[in-house]
Amino acid sequence: MSAMALRSLNLPGVGTKYEFETDKGDTVAIFFTKTGTIQMYTLQKGCHTPSAAEMTPVEARRLGNILTGAIIEADQESVEIAFSALADLRVTIHTFYVPKGIAGKTIEDLQIRAKTGATVIAVCRQDKNIINPPPAFVFETGDAALVIGESDQIIKFEREIMVE
Amino acid sequence: MEGLVIALFLCLFLALVTKYLSVPAIPFYILAGVLLGKAGLGLVQADDISQFFSQMGLIFLLFFMGLGLKPERIAANKAAVLTSGIIDLNVNMIIGFFAAYLLGFTITESLVVASAFYISSTAMAITSLVENRKLMLRESETIIWLMVFEDLVLIIFLAIISAGDQNLVFFAFKILAVLGILYALALYGKEFLISILDRDDELPILFTFAAVLTVESFALVLQIPDTMMVIALGVAFATTDPDAFEQHARPFKDVFLVVFFVFFGVSIDLSGGANLFSISIICILAVLSKLISGLITGIVIHDSAMSGLEIWANTIARGEFSIALAVLYGSPVVGTTIAAMVIVTSIIGSFAAKYSTLMRRGITSIGRRKTPTHRGHLGR
Repeated sequence: MSAMALRSLNLPGVGTKYEFETDKGDTVAIFFTKTGTIQMYTLQKGCHTPSAAEMTPVEARRLGNILTGAIIEADQESVEIAFSALADLRVTIHTFYVPKGIAGKTIEDLQIRAKTGATVIAVCRQDKNIINPPPAFVFETGDAALVIGESDQIIKFEREIMVE
Repeated sequence: MEGLVIALFLCLFLALVTKYLSVPAIPFYILAGVLLGKAGLGLVQADDISQFFSQMGLIFLLFFMGLGLKPERIAANKAAVLTSGIIDLNVNMIIGFFAAYLLGFTITESLVVASAFYISSTAMAITSLVENRKLMLRESETIIWLMVFEDLVLIIFLAIISAGDQNLVFFAFKILAVLGILYALALYGKEFLISILDRDDELPILFTFAAVLTVESFALVLQIPDTMMVIALGVAFATTDPDAFEQHARPFKDVFLVVFFVFFGVSIDLSGGANLFSISIICILAVLSKLISGLITGIVIHDSAMSGLEIWANTIARGEFSIALAVLYGSPVVGTTIAAMVIVTSIIGSFAAKYSTLMRRGITSIGRRKTPTHRGHLGR
């Protein structure tokens, strides 16, 4: 039997339970409760009392992102999407907060595409979203940029553009 | 009408406080009703409006229960569900019935008291498992299925007690016929129902409300218990999209059920001859008999008395269904007794559930001190 046998179960009145045992014998259980919260329990091998954390859906998604290894820095997050049907195509979307150094510069000035290969697909400015910003788009401090590309391109973006 | 408004405001305040302290709200709604009603200040009297709201509360509670019952799910865990369910039913029904009978209730009254005594609060048990982060414990599955079993017993009980002196064969036939129609409607109208539920205008909520009320009035015309029919409607609708129905019925249930609890409190009349002695006995036994059934279940199902203690802690609280039984079939004395039992057990239950882990740890360490040689076996 595979060690990662995932058990899912519908509990009337409570919600859905997912449980699996790791290779080392620890158990992880996740409950999507009807109240909309998500509870995660971990039980170390040989222990009797599990420890638990309760999360909102947003928090659970962040945790999911961390677990997939997509997050590089704590206050920024990214999602990696793998299309297994397309020769395992992997695309990463990452958020970056614009540092002072590049405020006032345009996407064209920074030569983002030429230098890194990544693309800025959206910018979030004070709760407003600008989708597909044009090359003449001027960054301001406090902007959150959503960048898409392969993970190498994203790392390049972080090293070469975000430091200026 | 003013009474209803006063009661609702008091409940709003209580809901805030109890949520903040994370204790169950039901006992406080009832106490609020007692305080405002006949037995207390006499500020609030039941009127046609409050009666209608209370009735809706009961109907939507039962509809909700029906939505959560999925007979095919039970079939999967049959053995464990049956065993724990039967232990729980026998121990508590028997203790409840004989206690009530010996305390001077009539046989019918004793049956109502025993049923209310038997049936734990599903809402409080599940809330306590979620809030106290106990979902992963192996006992929690047992507790959840125990609640489902109790719901099924309640349905059978409602059927038996409301048949009254009708011709039983004809009565059963009527119920089966209506059940069949509801099932057929849900089966053949499934796509239509889902297309209604998927809309984002007022239609889904209007449809849910109308369906529940229609079935209730049909039941009255056909002289079959409306309580049964509303549960049956829930079970039939559960075959389509139960989550959507729950979502649309929830506002009605949430509001009307609070009215139901508070006006149950209002209706309590202490001059009706309830005596403190028998009330106390019932309350104490209500806590103890769940301890007995919990311990037996723990030992039989999980091979551990400690598991039994956990099951006990989460099933002490009696609540919504006990009150429903009191409202439907209870005399004033029975009502007062059940009210007191719900208040006492739900408060004790909420503390027991919160501190059960400490309790288990305490007992284990005492056990260890007494028998140091058996250290290894007493862990759980």
